[in-house]
Amino acid sequence: MSEHKTVVIDIEETEKAQLDEHSGLSEIEVSGVLSVKNVSEKSRIWNVRVLLGDTRDRTNIGEETIPAGEVDAGGRWDTTYDVSAKAPILTLTEVFDTCEEVKTEEPHWAYAFGKDNPVKMTITLKNETDGQIDNIVLNKTIPSELTEITIDEVTSGTAEFDEGTGVVVWKDFVIYPQEESTVVIKASGRVKDVDAKGAGEMVVTYRGEEQTRSVLAPDMTALTEFLAGIESAETEPNSWECTLECSNESDLVVRLDKAEVYLEPEDGGDKEKMIDEAPAVELAPNDEWRSSFEVTSKSPPKCTQEIIYTPTNVVTKRVLGTIDKTPQLVPVYRIEYSKTFDPPKVASFDKTPVEVTIEVTNAGSAKLNEVQVLDNLPDDIMPPTSEYVEVFVRGDKYDGEMEIAIDPDDQDPDSPHTLSVKLSNLKDSVGELEPDETMRINYSIMTWKSRPEKEYPSPIRCLANTYPPGLEAEIASDEDGHKIGVVYKKRRISAKKGINKGSETGEYIVQLVIENKGEVTVENVRVTDWIPEDFEFVSVEPEDLEPSQAAADGGTNLGWIFERMNPEDKKKIRVTVRGEGEYERREPEVISD
Amino acid sequence: MLRVTYFGKTSFALQSDETSVLLNPGIWDGDTVVPDDYDIRVIVATNDHDDAVGNATTIAANAKAWFLGNELAVEKVKEQGAKPWLLHVLKNEAPYEIPGLKITPFSLQREDPESGKKSENLGLHIEIGKMKVSYIGDSMVRGPFGALEANIVIAPVGGDGVFPVKDAVSLCIDVGPQIGIPMRWTDDDQPKKFCKYIDQFARNTMPLVMKEGQVLEVQWAAGNEFKHELS
Repeated sequence: MSEHKTVVIDIEETEKAQLDEHSGLSEIEVSGVLSVKNVSEKSRIWNVRVLLGDTRDRTNIGEETIPAGEVDAGGRWDTTYDVSAKAPILTLTEVFDTCEEVKTEEPHWAYAFGKDNPVKMTITLKNETDGQIDNIVLNKTIPSELTEITIDEVTSGTAEFDEGTGVVVWKDFVIYPQEESTVVIKASGRVKDVDAKGAGEMVVTYRGEEQTRSVLAPDMTALTEFLAGIESAETEPNSWECTLECSNESDLVVRLDKAEVYLEPEDGGDKEKMIDEAPAVELAPNDEWRSSFEVTSKSPPKCTQEIIYTPTNVVTKRVLGTIDKTPQLVPVYRIEYSKTFDPPKVASFDKTPVEVTIEVTNAGSAKLNEVQVLDNLPDDIMPPTSEYVEVFVRGDKYDGEMEIAIDPDDQDPDSPHTLSVKLSNLKDSVGELEPDETMRINYSIMTWKSRPEKEYPSPIRCLANTYPPGLEAEIASDEDGHKIGVVYKKRRISAKKGINKGSETGEYIVQLVIENKGEVTVENVRVTDWIPEDFEFVSVEPEDLEPSQAAADGGTNLGWIFERMNPEDKKKIRVTVRGEGEYERREPEVISD
Repeated sequence: MLRVTYFGKTSFALQSDETSVLLNPGIWDGDTVVPDDYDIRVIVATNDHDDAVGNATTIAANAKAWFLGNELAVEKVKEQGAKPWLLHVLKNEAPYEIPGLKITPFSLQREDPESGKKSENLGLHIEIGKMKVSYIGDSMVRGPFGALEANIVIAPVGGDGVFPVKDAVSLCIDVGPQIGIPMRWTDDDQPKKFCKYIDQFARNTMPLVMKEGQVLEVQWAAGNEFKHELS
């Protein structure tokens, strides 16, 4: 029978799904086309009725039976309908991770500006049905900021990157029921600006043969070229053999479902059913079917018939699907900073408190969950202690998760220090730092006898990260950046000496006047005055300025040290010496730090 | 025990069980800061300006107190009718001593912020009530005070011809007194900064901003433990 023609009822349903940027389903539309295809070359079918029964619940088809009229040989009849569905039969998932080097539970979702971001795209397709899905073709557009594209892994089929079109095509595979396939693409991402980037469109098409979304199970009745009649033949006098004869005159296979023959009695009265059959027999073209009964009658029996037949049919069905994924938007994280000193310059050799203000601004398009500032303070600076470092986020004082460290952890101005301020987990305290928002650090330092000939660079390095953390966004000053200005205040120390006769012979009064005539305080002022070898030190006024004595070329050096002399400070020293001979004059020496 | 009373601007009174001294009872914008009938034993003006001498003549007359100052200041109060026998000229580094009080003056300078003209201002190192107090007066330079031991440093912080905040802080860092008191500020931010910097950079010194009328009591408890209480 298989070579004979059978009417085809075809169901072709199309699902079109739109996924959002995170692979969530945002929209799905499913529609179907129900067709009756008369594959006959010569026989029309008519009185066609498509029977759907209660299998149409998921569709918008209102009637259980759809009249399809007549369908000429080789012709078809179509009707369309919509299907309600909550999800496609194939699930598409894309995980776009901008930093596969750093392992985290959740993927990284932003590019670090100025860095080569190790991108990993993991695309997974899962067959959610109990049937096979084939004819799968997935096209993934690779955005222009990605280079060094490699197919790292593909579990089935083939995946290739076409440099000409910038598309990865994954095809030539099927997915068995409830199974999934994955392709992993790796690339290097480097962005030139901070605008959010598209992660690339993705479209997948597929076919689910012998599947429907509607669960329609159609059947059909129709009429076609078919002969039926009763032949009455007298076998003996007044004895008749009546034969019901059916013949399929079409080139379609016809199924005979019901054959009934009724005899009208000669003497009147109710009809008598003589043939009552439901053969359900399929008749190939030109096949016949008979059924007989015998009856006694003087005249030829009068019979009527009731025949039900229909061309047989076969149902074909499939689901054709398309999933279109909206490209994920990948923002960029970048920071900028400013650092100021107030006052920007300090007087040399002085101790001056200086306010340091550092502002770190989110200059990208991604939210920041961590910000770290590493500020280097040179020597001759007394650093703050951590409790005096103030941090503000969006102008408000920040008291969330924060680490402040000063290395080494002391306030010794003789060594350089590094101040580290790290704000973590902003999302759970004051919220992540949004684009254009700023965090500020304020602290004070004390410049400690800054020397005018020396430079005091205070370079800074700022880091920021997202949640989950990936590569750090970074910005730093030059190694010799952010110099603390030192205003040169001239040092000017005057040393005057007078030698006068004392009250006795051979006694002299040496008067020294040391004066700071400069603009700044001087420290460790060392005064040395020489006494000839024939003279000896007797006394000094004021008495608390007792000098040190040291042998020197041709005499003795008297020495004094003054720890600090402020501008206009004056030290008067009267030294009494006694001896013989001429008192040679040599000028006092004064040196200081 | 020493009681330090603040009248505002640069005016303080130091009182011990034995004696008392009033510092710079000045007149500011025509207003006195110390009552004319304030009872005191010694009055010191660190210079001859009205913001230092103020109503010292009247107070001295009412209280029959000594007036001490440099030559110009003494001359000024003399012209105002002060009793000559109650006047004493302070000489640079020459201590003035009476029972319970030793004042050593040091010649410093102040500057007129408008003309830039410099004039003498005395910085005072005062020993009273078993305490040493360095009172810088209206000075723009510190002189030897960085090397003088003190339990209390009282320094201007307002700039404009006297110490700015940074110099007051620097002095406290070098001296390391138990208490640093700012005075003569022109902006409320200045004493705050003084405290902030002292807290951070002069770890042995406690900054104390006194309000007008407040009294600070300091004493050596058990002979060697410095204690203070602010009213």
